[in-house]
Amino acid sequence: MSENKELLFEMKNIEKIFSHVHALDHVNFDVRKGEVHALLGENGAGKSTLIKILTGVYTKDGGQIYMDGKEIEINSREDAANAGIAVIFQELSLIPTLSVYQNILLGKEISKFGFISDSAEKKQIQDLIDHYGFPVKATDIVETLSVAQKQMVEILKALATDAKLIIMDEPTASLSSRESELLFKIINQLRDKGVSIIYISHRLEEVFNLSDRITILRDGKNAGVIEKEDIVPSEVVKMMIGKEVSESTASRTLKTSDAETVLEVKHLTHLGYYDDVSFEVKKGEVLVLTGLVGSGRTEVVRTIYGADPYDSGQILFEGKPIKPTISKSVTNGFGLIPEDRRTQGFSPLLSVTKNVALTSYDKIAKSGFVKASDEDKLGEKAVELTDLRPANPKVKVGDLSGGNQQKAVLGKWLTRDLKVILIDEPTVGIDIGAKDEIYNIIEGLASQGVAVLMVSSDIAEVLRVAHRILVMREGRVIKEFNDGVATQEDILLASSGYVENQEEA
Amino acid sequence: MKQMRQETIRRIISLVLLVVLIAIFTFTTDTFLSWDNIATMLRESAFVGIIAIGITGCIITGGNNLSGGYALGMICMVFAHLYHYTSLSLIAIILICLLAGLVSGAFNGFVVSILQINDFVATLSTGMIFQGITYILAIRNQYGSITSEMIKNPTILSLGGKFSNGIFYVTIVWLVMTLIMQLVLKKTKIGTYIYAMGSNRKSAEYSGISFIKIKMVVFIIAGFCSFVGAMFMLGRLGTCDVDTGAALSLQAISATVIGGAVFSGGRGDMIGTFIGVLIMQVLRNGVLKYGLTTAQQSIISGIIIVLMLVFDAYYNEYMQKRTTRAAAIAREKEGK
Repeated sequence: MSENKELLFEMKNIEKIFSHVHALDHVNFDVRKGEVHALLGENGAGKSTLIKILTGVYTKDGGQIYMDGKEIEINSREDAANAGIAVIFQELSLIPTLSVYQNILLGKEISKFGFISDSAEKKQIQDLIDHYGFPVKATDIVETLSVAQKQMVEILKALATDAKLIIMDEPTASLSSRESELLFKIINQLRDKGVSIIYISHRLEEVFNLSDRITILRDGKNAGVIEKEDIVPSEVVKMMIGKEVSESTASRTLKTSDAETVLEVKHLTHLGYYDDVSFEVKKGEVLVLTGLVGSGRTEVVRTIYGADPYDSGQILFEGKPIKPTISKSVTNGFGLIPEDRRTQGFSPLLSVTKNVALTSYDKIAKSGFVKASDEDKLGEKAVELTDLRPANPKVKVGDLSGGNQQKAVLGKWLTRDLKVILIDEPTVGIDIGAKDEIYNIIEGLASQGVAVLMVSSDIAEVLRVAHRILVMREGRVIKEFNDGVATQEDILLASSGYVENQEEA
Repeated sequence: MKQMRQETIRRIISLVLLVVLIAIFTFTTDTFLSWDNIATMLRESAFVGIIAIGITGCIITGGNNLSGGYALGMICMVFAHLYHYTSLSLIAIILICLLAGLVSGAFNGFVVSILQINDFVATLSTGMIFQGITYILAIRNQYGSITSEMIKNPTILSLGGKFSNGIFYVTIVWLVMTLIMQLVLKKTKIGTYIYAMGSNRKSAEYSGISFIKIKMVVFIIAGFCSFVGAMFMLGRLGTCDVDTGAALSLQAISATVIGGAVFSGGRGDMIGTFIGVLIMQVLRNGVLKYGLTTAQQSIISGIIIVLMLVFDAYYNEYMQKRTTRAAAIAREKEGK
């Protein structure tokens, strides 16, 4: 039935080049009237670049865009809005202290001589809400609403501007399953009323259930377009990954069964973040927690380091139960490479030497005084151990490239006697060459007997460094991969919850 | 089971605090609730209150204004200077003072919005500039040292007067201006934009609201408040010196914060600020009646402000935790 619907929107041969790299290479993408069209692809496949072009954040370097058959130019957010394109932002863009109707009509108030006619505004918005049957009131204050309701207000805001094409980027990322169900109902209603939706999600199950069509991107190119009737999950995943036989962890298997356990967590629970998480990390082992963003991985690691609280469960270090605090963790020989290195990893205005010395003042300071030569020795050691470039410990960390900044952060811990290192997304925003060096440093640490607990969303990276892999989903560990059985497909399907739910059904 | 909003709780807390303070002072001192004392308190409040009207607008946009009191002092001195050294008519002098007020506000707005300087630092600096101008304009004797001169103009002096029931004119002006500002904040487009800008600047700008325009508006309103305050200050004192109004900025900011406005913006209104001004005044007047020193009053006011800020911080964190937990529990139930 959907085949004979006419096209609303079409992008042809779209090109985008960032410093000689083809981020988008002759990509075609179209949306029919009243269609839910999913856009799939791994991180870096070009999804967000494409969306940014069609919302006017980026300007395309080549190709054409058509709306209702007419060619249009989108060079700004206003152009996109005028063309009837609206985005439901992942980070909600509402004004928390204003009411629903004030938010929807912001900048478009109904007023006489500058005075707002509240009653007319309330009525107009309540009518709109009733038309779609959303469970919110026009007079509700936004900050008292749930995340799902806020999302509905965002959708209403789009509808109030007569948007014909609504883009939803990971809309269920922070919704409970019941709230997600409600959102799906709303999406179906919008489709029935003729609104077209571009749907982006890592959760394959909902994509498969919801979409009329799927466009798959890989490495900035079209990898396929599939109609609803033709969806075969494993085929879709293969198209996303693009390899017939994908890598496995076989080469990375290590005989760790006889090594002693350094870190163990038992039934660790922090309500609302993660639930009943248990695992152990042995001496010289690299254990990776993977899964989607928001699945609770980072929070587990932060709890073990003492940066976040927990409700119940036990953390054992070298067989003894501990209640972690950050300062105790540092003394015990724990190190943390945090998720956001810019805000949590280093002090940009201080030199490499000073940054590295920060974790070691307990060792080198004598009654509060520090010899500059002791600091310098640490800085030089860090540069040498991490092969930092430029090889000058006096450089401010803020002036280094992303990869070398991360090496400086690693240097903070490498110069200490480490027993456990907790690493959270170590290579986000780092170029490929430096990534490999960082993997080598991590492997080096493990071979020296350090227990490594790492969080990563990059599946290629997980397979590259892990001895064992735990997949987390919605706060729980749902799958463990041992001894080289994991493939990219396995991990992707497990993290998106698809396999698990198939088995239940 | 709807959660109470931060504003509602803060309003209740400040109202209860005001009532409790009034009750304590009424029962423990003889003269607190006398008509004369009330009229005097309302006059003193009025000066802080008029400056606080301007400051409330600035704070709701997520900014601040440390220069309001200095601007008031400068405008007083502009008046005194022109009155002493020129033969301009009273109307002309007042119009020049009005202009000085509006320009001082526009200058603040320019520094904050066009030069993009943080409000706190910007108005700290402009406050110093205003104070410097006050010194330049100050009236000097033949040896060059600063003197204060009595202003004998009856029209100006009459501004310091009162109605037959003992309520001062300035009190009424304060109340009327407070009401007008409340109306502007809650019932007009510009008011909605002021809240929107303070609550989520990016989103407000994406809705087509100009940051520069909103900042200009709130600072020019503040400049106008400094002008009105200055005219009544002259009427009350009959003179002015280089320190006139200097203490008002901090008192007005304190009152605004006690009334529920938060520095991160988006919250607060004139009713809250009005209550805040009264709390500050009742406290000052009441402890004075106990014979406490200025130092002790100051410490008590400081502690109250810190407690209010601590409340804001903990309330937000608590609410966030509660929401996450509620969502988790809901998810648990669904699972079963």
